[in-house]
Order: sequence, then C-alpha cells, then structure tokens
Amino acid sequence: MSQVKIGTENKGDCAVRVERGEAGIRIDAKPLVEPGLRLLVEQIADRCGAEKAKIEVADFGALDYVVAARLETALRQAGTGKRCNEPLEGGLDRKPTAADRLRRTRLYVPGNNPRLQVGIELHGADCILLDLEDSVPLSEKLSARVLVKHLLWAVSFDEVWVRINPLDTYGDEDLAEIVPGRPHGVCLPKTETTDDVARVAARLAELESKFGIPVGSTRIMPILETAAGVLHAEQIAGADPRVVVMAFGAEDFTRDVGSKRTRETLLFARSQLVAAARSAGVQASDTVFSDVDDRDALLEETRHVRDLGFDGKGAINPRQIAAIHEGFAPPAAEIEHARRVVAAAEEAEQQGIGAIAIGGKMIDRPVLDRARRTLDLAQRMSAGRGL
Amino acid sequence: MRNALGREVPDTRAGKPTRPFAGAFASAQQGKKASRPQKTSCRTEDKLLPSLQAAIEATGLSDGMTISFHHSFRDGDRLINLVLDECARMGIKDLCLAPTALFPVHEPAIEHIKRGVVSRIEGSMNGPVGAFVSQGGALREPAVLRSHGGRWRAIEAGDIHIDVAFIAAPQADRYGNACGMRGKTACGTISFSAVDAQYADKTVVVTNELAPYPVHPFEIQQGWTDYVVVVGEIGDPKSIASGTLRLTKSPTRLHIARLAADAVISSGVLKDGFSFQGGAGGISLAATKYVGDAMREAGVVGDFAMGGATTLLVDMLHEGLIRAILDGQAFDLDAIASLRDDPAHLIMDPGHYANYDSRGCSTYMLDVAFLGATEVDLAFNVNVNTHSDGQLLHGIGGHQDVAAGAGITMITIPTLRGRLPVIVDHVTTVTTPGEAVDVIVTERGVAVNPAREDLRDRFAAGGLPVKTLEEIKAEADRFIQPPRRPVFSDEIVALIEWRDGTVIDAVRRVEEWR
Repeated sequence: MSQVKIGTENKGDCAVRVERGEAGIRIDAKPLVEPGLRLLVEQIADRCGAEKAKIEVADFGALDYVVAARLETALRQAGTGKRCNEPLEGGLDRKPTAADRLRRTRLYVPGNNPRLQVGIELHGADCILLDLEDSVPLSEKLSARVLVKHLLWAVSFDEVWVRINPLDTYGDEDLAEIVPGRPHGVCLPKTETTDDVARVAARLAELESKFGIPVGSTRIMPILETAAGVLHAEQIAGADPRVVVMAFGAEDFTRDVGSKRTRETLLFARSQLVAAARSAGVQASDTVFSDVDDRDALLEETRHVRDLGFDGKGAINPRQIAAIHEGFAPPAAEIEHARRVVAAAEEAEQQGIGAIAIGGKMIDRPVLDRARRTLDLAQRMSAGRGL
Repeated sequence: MRNALGREVPDTRAGKPTRPFAGAFASAQQGKKASRPQKTSCRTEDKLLPSLQAAIEATGLSDGMTISFHHSFRDGDRLINLVLDECARMGIKDLCLAPTALFPVHEPAIEHIKRGVVSRIEGSMNGPVGAFVSQGGALREPAVLRSHGGRWRAIEAGDIHIDVAFIAAPQADRYGNACGMRGKTACGTISFSAVDAQYADKTVVVTNELAPYPVHPFEIQQGWTDYVVVVGEIGDPKSIASGTLRLTKSPTRLHIARLAADAVISSGVLKDGFSFQGGAGGISLAATKYVGDAMREAGVVGDFAMGGATTLLVDMLHEGLIRAILDGQAFDLDAIASLRDDPAHLIMDPGHYANYDSRGCSTYMLDVAFLGATEVDLAFNVNVNTHSDGQLLHGIGGHQDVAAGAGITMITIPTLRGRLPVIVDHVTTVTTPGEAVDVIVTERGVAVNPAREDLRDRFAAGGLPVKTLEEIKAEADRFIQPPRRPVFSDEIVALIEWRDGTVIDAVRRVEEWR
C-alpha cells in the first residue's frame, strides 16, 4: 500500500501522511506545540485502532478537531484504521431547536476548508450549513465528511445543518458519517420528488436508532433547484414531518430551465415555493446572492423576497449576514401598524365584539395574523444582537 | 528586585540603580532637561560635506559612542546599513545603536554586532535583529526598548546621550533644513528625529535630494544641524507598508473589528468632537472603517484621528468625517501626499503626542484607541514585544503611550494564532500594564477591565457579547492542547522600559521549552 496524503499546507490545516509499515509518529511543528500535538495524534491513532501505521503530521496551525479529522481520514484510506463514531472527549453540546425558529440566514461553509470554518459559529447567522456538495471536489469527499463530523463534535452551534450530496451519488455515505455528529438537520440538494425526501428520512431513521439519537429528530431541508423540484414543491413540503424549511437554489434552476437570472424569471419559482411552504406550514428560504461586495443589491434582493413571503435567505460569506438580517427586519412603520392592529383585536375581544376596526376600517383575520407575525418577528429579532 | 507588577527586574542598569515600574502614572520627574554643547556658526560656514565618510570624520565619531536614526522608511530604510558599513570600514568599534526602530531590512546589523562594530542597542527591534539578541550573549549590555514617547523622554532626560544623530531626509538644503514629505523619496514626517537633532552632540542630515534654501516645513532646522551629506539612496518609500497594512478579508478578523466598532458605538463616546487612534494592523484598519461608517450614519464629525496615517484616515478627512489627522508616521503613499497637501493633516512628533515628562500629550485627548498584542493575560497585561516562545520580535511603537492616554483602550486580538493561545495566564513579557487597558475584544467575546464597570454595563445594554477573560480563554483553549512554555535563563537580553523610564519587565534568554 502506498502512502496516503490528507490535508493541505494551508494556514489552519495540517498535512498528514500515513503508510502501512513500521508503526511510528513523526511530528513537524513549532517546538511549543509539538508535544501536545504528539499526544493528540497518539490518542486519535489509538481511537481509530491504527495498526502498523507510519504517521507523519506537519502542522500549519490546525486546531485539534482538524488534526483528528485529517488523521482519521488518512488512517482509513490507508486501510489501517476504522471510523470514529464518538468524539474524543465526551460532551457534545447540541440543544434541539424549535421547528419554527428564526431562520433568516443559512450560511454556507465549505466542508473541507478548515480556514473558512474556524469561528464560523460566531458571526450571528441563524443557521450554519456545512457543505459536502458543490464546494467539495470529488477527490475530497471523504476528507470533507470526516472533517465536518469532527467540526460538529467540536463546536456548539445554535443550529447547524449539513448539505449532503444527492442520495444517488455520495449522499448515503455522507449520512452514515455525519449523523453521529448530530446536526440539527440535513439539506438535500436537487430534491425533485417526495421519494427523494422519503429515502433520506428512512435512512436517517436507521442511523438515528443505530447511534442512539431520538428517531425523527434530524430535520430535512429540501433544496428545490430544478424545474421538476419547483413543480413538485407542494408535495415535497408536506412529504415528511422532518421537513421544517424548504430552500430555493436559483443558479441550478435557471440553468435547468434555460433562463437568465432576473427578478422576473425567478418570480414564478419563488412564489410557487412560498405558497407550497405556507400550505404545508414550513418555512421558505431563498437562494444565495453571489456578489459578496455588493451589499446594497443584496439588501434590495432580501427586501424583495421578504415581500414575497420568504423567511430567510442563503449567505456565502459572513459579511452578508448583517445585510440579510436588515432586509428581513420589519420596517418601523409596519411594526407600529401591527401593534395597533393587535391592540384593537385584544380590545375587541375583551368587549366581546366580533369585528375589529381601526379608524373605521375593518380588520379581517389575515391582516391580524400578519400583524401578529410581524410583532413576533420583531420581538425575536430584538432578542438577538439586532445585527 | 520586583516591580509593582511582580516582575523581576535587575537592581542596577549600567551601574546606576534601576527605577522599577510603580504604576502607569506613579512617577514624577524633578530636575532639568539635558542639553547639548553650544556652538556658534558664521556666515561663511559650509555644512555640505563631500561624503558620508567625511561627515563621520567631521563629527569625531569614535569607539564606544552612540549613534541614532529614525525609522520613517520602515522596512525600506537604507541609511542604517550604509552608516554601519562605513563605520566598519573606518574601523570604529563598540558603538551603541539607538534608532527609533529596526526592521527586517536591518538584518546586516547582526554581522556588525558579531564583529564588535555594534555592542549595545537602545531601540525597538522588529524581526531578525531581535531574534538574534534573544539568543543571548550578543551585546555588552541588555538592549533597551522604549515607546515612542519613552525614547523622546529618555533623550531629553539624558538617559540616552546621543553622540551623533544621522537623519535620513528625502529633501534638505545645504544649510541643514530638512523635511520628509517632499522629494522623490518622500516618506512622510521625519519628526521622530527632531529630538535627536536637538540633543545630539553632532547632527548630520543625510539626503538624496539637495534642494534650494529654504527646504520646508522645517522638521529638522538649520540651527540644529552640523553637517549635510548627499548620498545616492536613503530609503525606498514603497517598502514603508511592511506587511502590516492590509485590509483583512479574514472573517474572524473582520468580526473582531465589527465588535470593536460596536463597542465604540455602545460606549456613548461617538458624538461630535470624537477622537480615536487607529493602528495599521488588519483588525485596527477594519475597525476604523466601521467606526467611520457609524460616524457617517449618525452624522458625527470627529475632532481628530491619530496614528500611523493611512489612506483610510485620509479618506475620512477628505469626506469631512474628521477635522484633522495627527500624523506620527506615514503608513502608505496616500498619507505622504496628504501630509504634504492638506493643511488639516498635521505633523505630530513623539514629544508632542506621547512624552510622559511634558506638559501635555495628544494621547490624553483621545476618546478611543485600537491596539494589538502578541499576548494578553488574565490581569489585562499586554505583551507586544515577545512571542510565546520567548523570542523578542517586535518593538513597542506607541503602544504604551496610547494605552495610557486614551479614554477607552481596546486591545483587538484573535483568541488563537494557529495552535497557540493569545490569552494566557501570564504574559511572557509585560509591555503595557493591565491598568492602562480597558477592553479586550476577541472573536469570542468582549472582556472589560473590572475597573471599568461603566463600560461593561453599556456594552451589555448594546447587545455585545460581554464575557470575562477567563470565559473567553476557556472557550478558545478547548480547541487546542496546552502548549509548552519557555524556560528562561538568568541572562537578561533586553529591558522593557515603561514610558516614564522605569523598568516594567526584563526579557531573558530562552533556555528550553517545557
């Protein structure tokens, strides 16, 4: 068996080489960190049941979880170690989240780039989305899913999702690897049918029971990004109780239908997705905006999709979070109006009057519902940092 | 002896008793300033000499004397190497090198130390010379590091006596007036040298561009200058931005900058008349940008910004967000042009902005300062000089002066650099004491000095993630195995002076890591 090389020489990463042969560990690191790193490598090798493994680790500032992931991947690929299904140090801090929690932003984070992962939980995104699909080259799929698993163990996220590959490619292996990391949910790209959802749900149930995780607790976010997916939005939204939010992917969608990305060309798909989500009682999350430097256009697009009824939007860089949150914040006038509507409704209820009116104008049920939603959103947003 | 921070410092320095650090504002000077020999000039005197060698001969520079330089060209300086080479050629030995700062470009000084041309250093060291000195045995006396203001004070007080000051001047006239902002190789202000020029026994202006009398502004004045020499090259202004000046793209660093700016906003000081100091590090630059955005949004006009001047500050001045820039040194080419062309862009020498023994410092007028660190500890002490491995790799700059002076001093740092923690139990070297530090801003939260409860309450009300330093440290340490710490020998390789001339810490030679 020839030598296996995993990881890179980039900042925040480490380069691990493993080959079968005389067991031994070589560490190439700054003198201050060398002994700690050696100890860590010994523990991981032991945990993976490494036998006759000649291990070399060159450090470029990798955190412990990165070292663990790189080494596990290398040992497995060299055929001298097995999968870790539990973190090195016990306590995984993962609290369940409410199905209808605030999900204004889902921040995509490349699954195999440690440098872009460090501190990613600190930027105020409502959901972190660790990506195993488009941002990961074919040759790095194993590295990425092992790294994502260790990242899930290492960091306490408010809400974290993993975007797996479609089930007909690498999705099944992705799930088997990352479910022990207990993400809040998995994103399913290119979802086109209820069967796509059902197959993932079934596989999740198997893995949950295998790893002692409450069955049904891992959620699913279908991403609709093809013509077929958009047309089946209604069925997909209601396909499984695990589905709590449904996302739109404009880049693949426009490619699939042969359209150009404009507000008009996306309007049908977006509206269809929102209507489907609402009818199933789940959230709708819009596509990403790719020009990271154009904050004004991002804010405008966010306001547009908010007006269409979306609950959230994808982000590809932490710098986009503030603009998206600003875009979803109800304007002050809207909050004020909502306050008056709700106050009038409460007064009418106290007095036992069925009809509600403000200044002689009748308020019907949907207006009241919308006002309550606005106040709820405003309240929840002010509870956060208001970024 | 132990100083007020519990750091072990030597009892004597060069035969005189050490004044140990006693507190940021504990010492008060008595007595008079030092002075230089009187000299009378006459109408026929010609100060222009044909060569550097001729100038060195004319000054009477000899073994054991002290020579000084400024660092306005930063990593683009040519003069220090030129003068040391000339001294070596002339057989002069045992010199004390007293520049404002050394940079990687001055690595050839190591050879001169080995050959005995240089045997002492009083000045900041950035890079290889510092690393060489840390290994011990190189210098006859421990090196002495001072802040910008501390060095000015030490020269005025006679703690350092400069025999010959060499002043690199992008433009000079033959009568000895010189400035840094004009000429082909303009580098910004050269006012770091103003104190050298007034207190040295002999002052030599070295220029690559002789211009008609009078060269102005008179940063260096004819009445101070003994000799003028023209050489081919004194420095390359393109190298001034030596690595620190990049607007960062790192999400972590931008996040720290965002939190620092939010802390400024929450503190309540962001109103008309606001003032701040922005450094040239990536986080400081980004924080300055965010503060500028907040000023624009709130319609606030600041009185002044101070610091290493950058394009960013120049843009704020031109936009009308601030009324003036106090420029201690230029950090890029835009700043050099602005200093020359904009009357609201002012030269600020270290005596003006930072001198402890003076009747006023600009830093005391600051509302807010953003500063960096190599390490901070749980007592809020800051290290900017050594790395966790004990190597002496950076100067003090204006860190002490600004930290002691500003209304709110913020240290902006990531919690981890690679696998090394930045927040430690005890810093390797104390550069700036915790009492001069109000807030430590990291990507994992904002820690407020317990003495500043007022700020903690305002930050909390502003929604900032306020935590204790212990909490932030624990969060960060979870990601790494604890590193080894250096074990030091008794040999002291450098002394760190507090800005008042007391010794705040001593740097010792590293023996091993454990």
